Amino acid sequence: MTREKFNTIALAGVVIVAFGLPLVVHSATYLHILVLLWLYAYLTSSWNLVGGFAGVLPLGHAAFVGIGAYTSTVLWLQYGISPWIGMLIGGLLATIVGIIIGLPTLKMRGAYFALATIAFAEGLRVMVENIDRLGPFVLNGPRGLQIPPLETGLYSFMFISKVPYYYIILVMLSGVLAFTWFISRSKLGYLLNAGGEEPEAAMALGINVARTKLIAMAMSSFLTALAGTFYAQFTLYIHPKSIISLDLSFEIAFIALIGGRGSIAGPVLGALLLRPVSDFSRIYFGDTLPGMHLIIFGVVLILVMLFQPRGLQEPLTRIYSRLQARLFASKAMET
Amino acid sequence: MKILEVQHLTKDFGGLRAVDSLDLDIEEGEILGLIGPNGAGKSTVFNCVAGVFPPTKGHIYFRSEEISGRKPWDLCKYGLARTFQIVKPFASKSVLYNVMVGAFAITDKTSEARERALGVLEYLNFEDRKDTRAGNLTIADRKRLEIARALATEPKLLLLDEVMAGLRPSEVDDMVSIIRRLREQGVTIFVIEHIMRAIMALSDRVVVIQFGQKIAEGLPQQVAADENVIKAYLGEEYAVS
Repeated sequence: MTREKFNTIALAGVVIVAFGLPLVVHSATYLHILVLLWLYAYLTSSWNLVGGFAGVLPLGHAAFVGIGAYTSTVLWLQYGISPWIGMLIGGLLATIVGIIIGLPTLKMRGAYFALATIAFAEGLRVMVENIDRLGPFVLNGPRGLQIPPLETGLYSFMFISKVPYYYIILVMLSGVLAFTWFISRSKLGYLLNAGGEEPEAAMALGINVARTKLIAMAMSSFLTALAGTFYAQFTLYIHPKSIISLDLSFEIAFIALIGGRGSIAGPVLGALLLRPVSDFSRIYFGDTLPGMHLIIFGVVLILVMLFQPRGLQEPLTRIYSRLQARLFASKAMET
Repeated sequence: MKILEVQHLTKDFGGLRAVDSLDLDIEEGEILGLIGPNGAGKSTVFNCVAGVFPPTKGHIYFRSEEISGRKPWDLCKYGLARTFQIVKPFASKSVLYNVMVGAFAITDKTSEARERALGVLEYLNFEDRKDTRAGNLTIADRKRLEIARALATEPKLLLLDEVMAGLRPSEVDDMVSIIRRLREQGVTIFVIEHIMRAIMALSDRVVVIQFGQKIAEGLPQQVAADENVIKAYLGEEYAVS
């Protein structure tokens, strides 16, 4: 058995476990937690395209989640357009907004870019909270929109059981991970990494850094908005405070930083670690100490940044390859 | 044929005139040295030529086209590459990765970029370091990496900004022979250097600037004997009159 084969088998094992879980887990609560786990892994992977590879720190991705969720929901409630189509339209709308935001801000450095994205996302939230109608579209201001679960099925993107949601988000996550893998091995991945790490050197080597970052931003906005539609269909209720909140933007960035920005597995590892913390702290401290999960995130983030500044994926990758090496060493002795 | 022509180049930073009405040109296949005391404006000349700063006044022609105001990435694709005085490796990536980024200036395919990068590394006797993280290289190897990356873009004109500063004498000799070999390959070279031994051995012609103005130009030996140059470097009292 070669190492490549071993890696393939390990990956296949992970995929089988992930896809097989609903056969074992029947509790709706646990399924709900798992769906959110994969949703955050998906959101963070989408964020990672710009926040990880392009080396900037966007802190307003909730805005794109909101654009996706509101677009598909309004189209469904008012025009009966399938949320699947609304999902794509929301994605395209978010792409356009992402490019408009990115054009002036991606030239900013470090904290300035982060602040600009926060300002934009907060601006959007305040706007939505104060608008009952936007032209012909009903947004309902701070009360948000409720999707009555009258028609279930694939066309309406509504299901009674949590299992279909589980598989939809898992397929979406697999898709975005495969896409990230592809990008990281393509020319664009090299250019993004180079521009993120040493912009001046990258420019001298023929890279239009601002343009590559804008491409990453456009892709990231599109993918993030798709998750917004999924979230709306999953919870059937969206309002500005839940879906365009800074909490959400920060949580995505936290997961990425702790898991490891710019790596493919980092966002998934981060979500696997932090989502349970978030859910259980909400269950246990929800009434007495709301927001406890963000405090825990903060502590974990400080520890990780102190001891593993490149995120948890690095030590875990090292352990994996050491394990692999030991396994092959003992195999070699047997034969 | 002249590959680079700089006419009346002036660059102001606020009230400070860093480069003052400078003229120079480079023949194709030539090695031109640019020297001058610290703060003379050498790196500013490079930055203007490479498109980092737009010139305040003057014209720059490269391969018979006016290039003043064009962007660095654009110029790189047009055949003008440079290294940085303060090296800027993509520190978290391998040497091969760094050089591949350069190779992507001329190809879209990852496999082709890898092959070209390996070719450049082999040419510079650097292939044994290809998997080393660029951040872990010695200063000599980092300077070599700067050249490797720039070469991977297949330049017609290469601007080398103090690639020998901080090297040991034996490493300087290696670098001199590398630069000579590059010229034999048909790359024109414009070099800023402080190490006189190297610049004298290397350059076909030397331009000396001080306070942004040209004070001497000619063969290395001529320039080294020039009264103005000695004054600029050592002070009035050393000039033998």
